[in-house]
Order: sequence, then structure tokens, then C-alpha cells
Amino acid sequence: MSGAGEPGTPVLEVASYSLSYRTPSGPLEALKDVDLTVERGHTLGLVGESGSGKSSLAWSIMRYLPDNAVENDGRLSLLGEDLRACSPAEILEIRGSRIAMVFQDPGTSLNPTLRLGEQLAEVLMRHQGLTQQQAWAEGEAALARTGIARPADMMRRFPHEASGGEKQRVVIATAFACNPELIVFDEPTTALDTITAQQILELFGRLREETGVAALYISHDLGLVSRVAQDVAVINRGEIVESGPCAEVFRAPRRPYTRALLEAVPRPDQWLGTAPPDPAAPALLTAEGIRVEYGARSWLGRLLNPPAEAFLGAKDVGFAVRPGELLGIVGESGSGKSTMAKVLSGLQDFDGRVGFEGRGFQRRRAFDRAYRRAVQIVFQHPDASLNPRQRISEILSRPLKLYDIVPPERRAARVGELLEQVRLPADFAGRYPHQLSGGEKQRVAIARAFAAEPAVVICDEITAALDVSVQASVARLLVDLQRETGTACVFITHDLNLVRQLAHRIGVMNRGELVDMFDTAEADAPERHPYTRALLGAMPVPAAPETTDPLKERSLP
Amino acid sequence: MTFGYLLRRLAAVLLVLFIVTFAVFAITMILPGNAAIMILGEYGTPESVAALERQLGLDRPWYVQYADWVGGVLRGDLGQSLRLSLPVSEVVGQAFWNSAVLAVTALVAVTVIAIPLGVVAAIRRGTAADLVIGLFAYIGASMPEFVTATLLLVFLAGPATGLLPAGGFVAPGESFAGFVSHVLLPAGTLGLILTAHISRQVRSEMSDVLASDYIRAARLKGLRERRVIRRHALPNSLAPAVAVISLDIGYLLGGIIVVEEIFAWPGLGRLLIYALENRDLPVIQAVTLLLATVYALSNLIADIVIALLDPRVRYA
Amino acid sequence: MPEILRSPTGIAGAVLLSLVAVAVLAGSFVAPYDPQAFHPATRLTGPSAAHWLGTDQFGRDLLSRLLNGAPSTIGFGLGATLLGVGAGTVIGVIAGTAGGWVDSVIMRVLDGLLAVPELLFTLLIVTILGGGMGQAMLAVALAFTPGMARIARSSVLSIRTREYVLAAVARGEPGCYIVLREVLPNALGPIIVEATIRVSFAIMIGATLGFLGLGAQPPSTEWGLMVAEGRQFMFRNPWVVAVPGVAIALAALGFNLFGDALRDSLDPRRSVRG
Repeated sequence: MSGAGEPGTPVLEVASYSLSYRTPSGPLEALKDVDLTVERGHTLGLVGESGSGKSSLAWSIMRYLPDNAVENDGRLSLLGEDLRACSPAEILEIRGSRIAMVFQDPGTSLNPTLRLGEQLAEVLMRHQGLTQQQAWAEGEAALARTGIARPADMMRRFPHEASGGEKQRVVIATAFACNPELIVFDEPTTALDTITAQQILELFGRLREETGVAALYISHDLGLVSRVAQDVAVINRGEIVESGPCAEVFRAPRRPYTRALLEAVPRPDQWLGTAPPDPAAPALLTAEGIRVEYGARSWLGRLLNPPAEAFLGAKDVGFAVRPGELLGIVGESGSGKSTMAKVLSGLQDFDGRVGFEGRGFQRRRAFDRAYRRAVQIVFQHPDASLNPRQRISEILSRPLKLYDIVPPERRAARVGELLEQVRLPADFAGRYPHQLSGGEKQRVAIARAFAAEPAVVICDEITAALDVSVQASVARLLVDLQRETGTACVFITHDLNLVRQLAHRIGVMNRGELVDMFDTAEADAPERHPYTRALLGAMPVPAAPETTDPLKERSLP
Repeated sequence: MTFGYLLRRLAAVLLVLFIVTFAVFAITMILPGNAAIMILGEYGTPESVAALERQLGLDRPWYVQYADWVGGVLRGDLGQSLRLSLPVSEVVGQAFWNSAVLAVTALVAVTVIAIPLGVVAAIRRGTAADLVIGLFAYIGASMPEFVTATLLLVFLAGPATGLLPAGGFVAPGESFAGFVSHVLLPAGTLGLILTAHISRQVRSEMSDVLASDYIRAARLKGLRERRVIRRHALPNSLAPAVAVISLDIGYLLGGIIVVEEIFAWPGLGRLLIYALENRDLPVIQAVTLLLATVYALSNLIADIVIALLDPRVRYA
Repeated sequence: MPEILRSPTGIAGAVLLSLVAVAVLAGSFVAPYDPQAFHPATRLTGPSAAHWLGTDQFGRDLLSRLLNGAPSTIGFGLGATLLGVGAGTVIGVIAGTAGGWVDSVIMRVLDGLLAVPELLFTLLIVTILGGGMGQAMLAVALAFTPGMARIARSSVLSIRTREYVLAAVARGEPGCYIVLREVLPNALGPIIVEATIRVSFAIMIGATLGFLGLGAQPPSTEWGLMVAEGRQFMFRNPWVVAVPGVAIALAALGFNLFGDALRDSLDPRRSVRG
């Protein structure tokens, strides 16, 4: 049945398709008049931010829509066959065998109580009529093709016994198992760390070459899509804004939205930061020999609650921050970078010494009011950073009140000034957090930190939970504030390209240790630590739009 | 799942039992009146009461009485009933078996009925079946046992219908048919309420499972719904179902007290009420100890079962 | 708040609760007869024009007795729950915010108390304190306290790790500010939901105690007591036990439904997907 239709038929064709959801507060439009095609052997990248409708399109294609979904008469066809005309039984036949899907988070899309092999074999048994034994053998072979070292062993494991990268390979193997015509990838590397993500992308490229499968690759990351897709479609609020071959769209975007998205992709050669600080100035804030052990308990606690294994969040970490400097700390999850943020802001017990303005602090309880005012922190998740039951004015006046920055009669005016400083309208003061967008909430959190007029602001992955376009504006805001106030900043992130645009010096952490520290200009130097080099290799620099200088163009295969 | 973990849990159970029996002991010490006064009633003069107290050992300091009792328990001797002049173990033993019969009947019926009901309601969420089951569950959970029992009696045991006896107990050894007809109403009362609770919670747990990402992934692999339910959904809802049932055992133990009283079923509940009225301290202690032990042990067993069902723990 | 009223459970719960509220607040004034007045000629009759819900063994009008007993039955439930929730919340908040060994000790004690099945616990306490509504209410409140403390503690613990609380700690805010202004207002949600559902349990247990003669005493018209007193006559006129029994069920059902609707409306997973 597959391969039917004339030779030029696209594998997937979506024509004039619209989708909306019936909600108690009226219809919610998810997709408006969408047209896209995926040719044989090609990969189409579908790029959009959150709320753009890209996931809804995936569900529509898989015919997995909730009851309150309303479709128009647009067309969805697989190799010329109308998917909408298929009966539920026929759809079940198609899923897994002709169209397969790879999900975002392998941790939740695998059944925790079933062995990996069984979850892989059941597809083969269902669609290709193999017996248990045959399916198991075939599954092993499929795992081997995805680069798993000991496939027989992996088949027998449970999901919790495999790493994120291994699990995703199993999911990919399952998708490729029945040789489908189309595979839909829904942000498959978002939940993985950078180096693993790179490996998965390479795997995807290789398998695509071997099998010639067509793919719809959904992502929010333009830079990433440029590495995997030949064609790209940009989607915004349910509408396809622009589409075409990657090289064309990236080099010469026609629509303002596309251009804005491209410009928001961090490019290390584009310096956004402030002037370098005075290298002779004494260090403002130092961490010396910091050691953090999780799971340690008081003696009574140990008696009543037997201890779990102790875990070292930080091992002998030391670095210094100079006045006016932006120090970047880069690492994957579990590297200890957030632990250091918590230590420096007085939220985490530690062994070692934290130095500030000549004073030394050996324990968390030693931090006094003056220190806590001078060192402020901004967190990652905008939804959790602000107390949902307090208005913005109250949230921002707390630090003013606590540190007695301005007399009470001046506080309201100061709140207005702070809002202005972070480019928010003054009347936001009367609003509650849930009335603000993610980016706006993050700006309020930054304003709250700067309200205390600190010497150092610690930013713990403040852009990670935001959309790409918003990330860039928040990063730029931070740098502007730094320029205006001369505050130093510790910028913690996993995005190496972003930090190279902002930071004067960069530290790299891995498994609780600081493995490398260098000036930003020397990021590419050969004496870098192997881990740093691996990270750099896993995050190639994306192509710049509309460059006229061919020597500067660095696009990727 | 190490041996050390099991030992610690058992030690925790023992500690809890100590606390409970000590608390009960302290409580009854504070009670006005004691067994001696109760026995002699109106005829008691201060001298005769004091004499009886000496005879029953009630004049000793409280800590001596408690230590004495604990020592006895560890030897297997639960003392003498102050009221009935019989060994406590005899009195309590028989009552325990009667209660056990009732509890086990109710529990088995519930498991067989309530879990499938909950599962079906979750699978057919939003349909008429779900609504009916949900309605039944809500109403059942809002009726105290005595109301359910009374209504059942009115409709099934009244002289008008006379289908079932209004109370009493017939041992299975004597007459199996008699036993069945006498156990139906009390077990049914308990079962109705438990079914209401459990089916509702199973529905909620099962709904959570059905909404999870791996179920979606399984469906998107084109697996037939039958397989998705049988192989992916059900095994993952077993552990929460066990948790739910173990929580309700506490409720079951409380319900037994009321149901036995209403249906004149000679079990621990009825015995406890009698002992409380008569300040029969050794019996109160023994019954409380038994009930608390059953509850603690069933929770422990449930925890172990849940842990074994989770491959993350089983293969750690 | 109005969202609750959009779901069927919310509406049903609200309707039942309004009926209950009317009965409690206005019952005694609206009752057609004196609840203690005998009407020997019409003893043990079913519903009729004169007596809408029938009469009991002394010819007393059941509707009037029902309305008259509403305040004590429902009041018991509310009172016991408020006491138990109050005490439990305080203990739970202390355990959750103090942490360390204070928390461990409190948890162990709570575990010990929770090992006793609730009704058994209540019976034992009621026996010490003697029968009577006040004592029974105290007993039920005491029985509720450990469970509520557990819930309060876990709610506080989950809020404590939220980033806005961490921000306040990092700022060096004083402890009582953090507990009172940052943690508590956000932790109360689950506590209130549980409290609402517990009222239904309290009503049922109160009625059970009344039934066993350990709660309300005659001549009270508490509903559980009504069932107990009517038991001997239930075969001659089932309405004598059915009326108060169903009333108890409906009241408990109202709180149950409303509490569930509250829980659903507070659940963050219910946000509409865009």
C-alpha cells in the first residue's frame, strides 16, 4: 500500500487546513489555513514558539484530537490518500507502521513498568505480524542500528535503567522499526543535555540517509532546524508565516517575524555585552573551595530517617567576580551550576569560603543583611518566581522596604521607575502575576533584584524557560541594566552560544567541578579542557541572515 | 527492598503499637469509675469496692499494672477479663475470628466489584456508565454505616419482605446456608460503602494513568485499545489501587464496630463497646491492640506490595 | 470562585449546601409543629397533607424534628472540623516550616496517632470524656488533627521550595514574614479543600456517635439520635429512620460534592491548552 500514487506525490500534504478548539470561553483557533508539504526523502522543519500551534498540527496528522476539536474541510493526505477519510480502524493501522512519532521526553513517553524490549517489539508484532521471538530479534537489530552498544542487554532493561540518550534511541528505533513513510519528530532533543542531543541529531541524520524516510521535524529552535532540515516552515499563532528551502529562508528571510526569529538566535560572533572590566580591580565576590553535600542530616534526623546516599553537588569550586563583570557559568543539568547559585545567594549550606568586599563567610548562617542586599538572585521559571497572590507593586516594594532604600512616601514612585527601567508600563504595578506573560514576569523578577541596588546579580538560567524571541530581549535588558548601574553579574546557563555574546569570562562546570575558566575571546583556543571542546562541538554556530561577506558565512551541512 | 528496610518497618510498627496501647492504658486510667465499681454497681460500699479492687489488682500503681500487662502480652497471656472472669484471650479470640470472617468477606467482595467499576468508569469517562457509577460512589460515600445498615434492614429484613434475618450469627460449621444468610447484610453494608470509596479513587487513579504520556505514545504506535488498557494502563494502576485499599482498611475497621453493633454480630467491635461500657480494661487493651496491629500490618504489607510492583524498587 | 459553579458537581454541591444552610438557619422558625409535641392520634404514619414527612412513635412531626435537629447535626460537623483543621494546620505548619528534628519528631508522633483507625480513636476519647455533644465534638476534632496536620505539612513543604519563597529567603526576609505572607496564603488551598470534605465525615461520625448514644443525648433532635430512637419502630413506619438517615446522607453529600468541585477548580492541570 505504501509508495502508491504518482512519483512526484509528496509524502505528506496539508492543504488549507484549519483547526480550533471549543472551550467554555469560546472557540480557540489553533491552526489557520495551513499549507505545507513534505517531499519524499526530505525533512521539513516546522519552527514555532510556544502557542504557535505546531504541536496541534502533529496531533492532527496523527488523527489524535480531543473531542472539542473542530476541523474545517482542509486536506491532510499521506502519499495522496486522504487521512481524514480513514476510519478509526484504518488510522490504527497507519499509526506506527506508515506514520510514526518520536516524542519530546523519553522519560515520560515510555511505560515505566514495561521492559524497553517489549515496548519496541509490540510495534513489530502489531503491524508486521511477527511472533514474540521474531519481534524481539528484530528489535535487537533495530537497537543496534541506533548505535546502542549492547542491544540484547538494553532490550531487557526498564526505562529507569537507561539514560536519557539511550531511551531516546529506543524511541527512535521504535519509530523506524516498521519502515514508515513519514516520521513526526516533536522536539526530540529538548529534554536531553547538549552533548547527547548532538549525538541524537547525528543518529537521525544517518538513519534518514539509510532509509530515505520523510520527516516532519518540529522545534522551537531555528538554529537546530538548520542543521537537520532541507526545508523549513515558520509558524506563528497558527499561521504559516514563511516556508521554503532552509538555505534560502535563513539567508534572506522575507517576513519580519522570520527575521526577528533569526536575529534572536544567539550568535557568538555578535557581541552584546558591556565593556570589559578593569582587570586590575580586586575581586568583588569570591568563592573558594566550595563543597556542597546533599543528603546530610542532623544526628536526630539520621536516627529517625535513615540516610540516603550522600551526593556532592559541588566539589572544591572556586572563582572570582570582578566589579562590572559579567561572568558566565556553563554546564548541563546536574553540573552543579545551580548549586553554586544557591550557595552564593545564601540558600544552600556549604563548606568552604565565600568572600565579599574583603569579608569572609564560612557558613550559610554567616551571611548578614548587608551581604544579602548586595547579592541578589533571579530564577529560571517566571511562573514560580513571583508570589501569585501579591500585586507587582507589592512584590517590587518589598526589597525597598526591607533595605530601606527609599522613604515610604517615595516607594510608589520608585516602583514606577523600576518598571520603566525594565521597559514595562507603569500601570503594571496594579496587576497580578498571572496577568503577565512569561517574558514580562521575568522582567519583574529582574526589576525586583535590581531594586535592592545590589553589587552582584546572579542569574540562574533566566532565559531557559522563555521563547527564543523573548530570550534575546531579556538578555539584552540585563546587559543594558548592567551598563546603567555597573552591577556585576553571574550568568548561569547551558547555552554556550548565548553566553559567548554576553560574558567577559566563562567558567565551565561538569559533575560538580569547575573544569575550565577562560576569557570569552579564547573560547576556541586549543588549550581548552576536553569537556569544553565537546560542548563547543555540540553547539555549532548557526548561519547569519543576509550576510554579504562570503568569508563570514558559516553555514552547516 | 532490603532486609534492613523490612526490619526498620517492623520496628516502627512495634513502636507504634507501644504508643497506642500505652495511650489506651492512660486513657482508661483517667476514666471515672473502674471495673470494680461497675461490677458491684449500686450494691458497692466503699469497703467492698476496695476489696474487689485489691482482688482484681486495680489498687497497684499504674506503671506496675502496665508493665505487668506488657509482660503478659509478650508471654502470650492477655490477662483476665475483669467483668467476665474469663481469660481475655478466649473472649477476644473467638470474637476476632468472627470479625475476621466479616471483614474478609466484605474486602473480597469489594475488590472484585469496586476495582473493575473504577476501571470501567475511567475508561468510559464522561459517558452514562461513568455518571451512574460516579453517582453511586458519591452517595455511597456520604452514607454513614448505620444509615446504610438501617435502610438495608428496612427493605430486606422487615416482616414485609423477610428476605434476610435482621441480625445474629450462625457459624459456618453449624449451617452454611444459615451462615450465608446472616452474613449477607452486615458484609453487604460494609461492602457497599467500601465499594463507593474505592471505586471512586480507582477511577481517579486510572484516569490519571490514561492521561499520561506513555499511554498516548502507545496509542500513537497504533496499538489496539485493548492492548493499551491491558498491557499499559492496568499494570500501572495496580499500585495506586493497592494504596487506596490499604487506606480504606482503617475505615473498614471503624465500620465493623458500628455494623456489628447493629446486626448483633459477635465480633471485636461489639466486644469493644461492651468493654468500654464496663470499663473492662484488659479487654479494651486487647481489642485495641489487635485492631491497631491489624491496621499497621496491613499498611506494611500494602507498602511492600506497592514497592514490589514498581520495577524501580524491585530491581534496585 | 464562580468557576466551581460551572461544573455539575459544583452546582449539585452548592444546591445541597444551600438547602442545608436554610435548614440550619431558618429551620426552627419554618417548622410547622413543635418538634416535641405529641400527636397520638397520628402516630407512625407516612407522609400526609398534615405531616409532610410523617410522624414518629409519639406522633411527633418528622419534618419539624428534622428542621430542629439541623443546627446540632450540621453544627457538630462544622465545629468539629474547624477545631480539627485549626489545630492540625498549626501543627502541620510548624512541622513544615521548622524542618530538622522538630519535623521528624512531629512526623513520628503523627504516624503513631494515625495508626489508630479514626472511629476507634474517637470512641476511646469519647469514653473518657463521657457522652454529650460537646465532648463528642472535641473527640472528633482530636481524631481529625493528625490527618489534617499531615496535609498541612505537605502543602507547606511543597510551597516552601517555590522560587518566590526562595527569593524571599535569599533577600533575608524575617521568618514570620515568609511564613505568613509568602507561604501560608498559597498553602491554604489544599487545606481548605480537605477541610470541606472532612465536614462530611464529621457529620457522619457525629451522627454515628449520636446513634450509639455517645454523642447527642435525648431529647435532642440530632439526626443520628433520631435514627437510634426510631430503630424499634422502623418496620412499622420506615420513614422514622429513613427521613433522618437520608437527611444525613444529603448533607454529607453536599459537602463532599462541593469539596471535590473546589479541588478540581484549584488543580493547575486544568488550564486550557492553547
